[in-house]
Amino acid sequence: MAEDIPQNLEDEIKQLISDITGRSVEELKPEANFWKDLGIDSIKAIEITVAIERKFKVRIRDEQIPQISTVAQAVKVVKEALGKKMKDEK
Amino acid sequence: MRSKRRVAITGIGPIASPGIGKENFWRGILLKKTNLQLEKCFINGELWGEFYLHKVENFDISKFGINKDRLNDIREWKEGEEIIDLNYLIAAIKLALDDSKVEYDKEKNEIALVLAHENLGLMPFGLKVSELSYEMLIGKRRKELPKKEFFDKLYRKFLKSGYDVQTFADLFHIARVFGVHNYSLFINNACASGLYALEAAAQIIKNNQAKIVVVAVSDHPDIYKYLWFRDLGIYSSDGVIRPFSSDSNGLAFGEGGVGIVLEDLENAKRRNASIYAEYLGGGFDLEGWKITVPQIGSNSYQRAILKALKQAKVDKKEIELLCPHGVGSSSIDYYESKAITDIFGRNSKKPLITTFKPYVGHNLGGSALLETAILLLSLKNNIIPPTLNCDNIDKRFGITLVTEKIEKKLEIVMKICCAFAGFNAAAIFKKIS
Repeated sequence: MAEDIPQNLEDEIKQLISDITGRSVEELKPEANFWKDLGIDSIKAIEITVAIERKFKVRIRDEQIPQISTVAQAVKVVKEALGKKMKDEK
Repeated sequence: MRSKRRVAITGIGPIASPGIGKENFWRGILLKKTNLQLEKCFINGELWGEFYLHKVENFDISKFGINKDRLNDIREWKEGEEIIDLNYLIAAIKLALDDSKVEYDKEKNEIALVLAHENLGLMPFGLKVSELSYEMLIGKRRKELPKKEFFDKLYRKFLKSGYDVQTFADLFHIARVFGVHNYSLFINNACASGLYALEAAAQIIKNNQAKIVVVAVSDHPDIYKYLWFRDLGIYSSDGVIRPFSSDSNGLAFGEGGVGIVLEDLENAKRRNASIYAEYLGGGFDLEGWKITVPQIGSNSYQRAILKALKQAKVDKKEIELLCPHGVGSSSIDYYESKAITDIFGRNSKKPLITTFKPYVGHNLGGSALLETAILLLSLKNNIIPPTLNCDNIDKRFGITLVTEKIEKKLEIVMKICCAFAGFNAAAIFKKIS
């Protein structure tokens, strides 16, 4: 059964990104750009994607990975993936 | 029971930016001849796109002494169109067979054939579909052109071309050119195709299907391929491939191909063949995560390298020279450096590491085998060409690259490749004294 969309999804994603990048949760503002504002490079972006997939049990498409460049975009992608998963399982 | 047959490499036939044919090619490598040029693509006189490319100079398929009737048959099959990477495959096979000095009946022989290419024929097909679609649509407003009529015309026009992108047709025609009637195979494992092809060829010999196998790869990049890589964000804006560097900005294509002859070692010795090396074995692992992005943190590439060492019965300490994929894209370089340092250690003095893409560009499906050819020539000549364009090696990667030419007696070398779709591969070669 697909996971319901967590109520505190943004917080969970921020914590996940913080664990991987070493940036504090407070620094991870929703619209802060990973590369320009936070110095998070493509290598870390892939690690974040791997961790998101594992934690939320979703599959992110290749072309979505470069789009995950802010916390807000990460939340959006996960919501879409979870929504799709719930729909597929009905 | 494991076969006792051993596999030697007895012929190399390269076609790439440093030169055509083994001698010219190796000379070009030593002279650092990259022939990097800006390729422009026009439609109706309007510039569509431009990209940097390591170009092959002065290639003429008619100059290789290939059966003219067979070449004409291919031209007829392709309705007069010259498919450049198909010609590269044919020429590379001829060069490799000539280099091996194998005597063979040109009408019917027992040589086996393994071809590898990512998408032979697909790009010309795509361009023709685009052309016809445009011609058909500009003349009529869309609502006046019934969909069924459009689809029907497209089908009739491309019936032939549509079957043409099935690779067995290429295998058929190329086998005919060389009188090959034995086992034949077409392989596509993205950039690692060449190493998979070598392993397949070795297995053909070990299973006594053939004593001699020709393996050939090629690629001829064009605008669609460039646009795809550009949109992935990994095509170099200045065309300079900077492997494992902090200022890397992506890859640049290199056109061309290579043929390599593998042969049963005893057969090679019996006919006093000149032997480049013994193919000791390969290791392969399919990561299975994404097509265009490597899974940072996985151990798939490490597994492939370890499998190769196990197959070859070689300890990692015996590897003297390692040639990685070295794409010049930071995430892929990091992924590769992690695998290398996990096995061989950070900034380890052994094996020496050098990469060849800055010389020949990225030959996509042909890259692993083309760079293997350079590795084999390095082994044969006891010369290690330096990695070019690496003034700013990224210290995070823990890789030390050869940056000046080294003359050193070599015995065991390794080629590794981390390809799209997670096809990870490694192959080990040993000089035979």
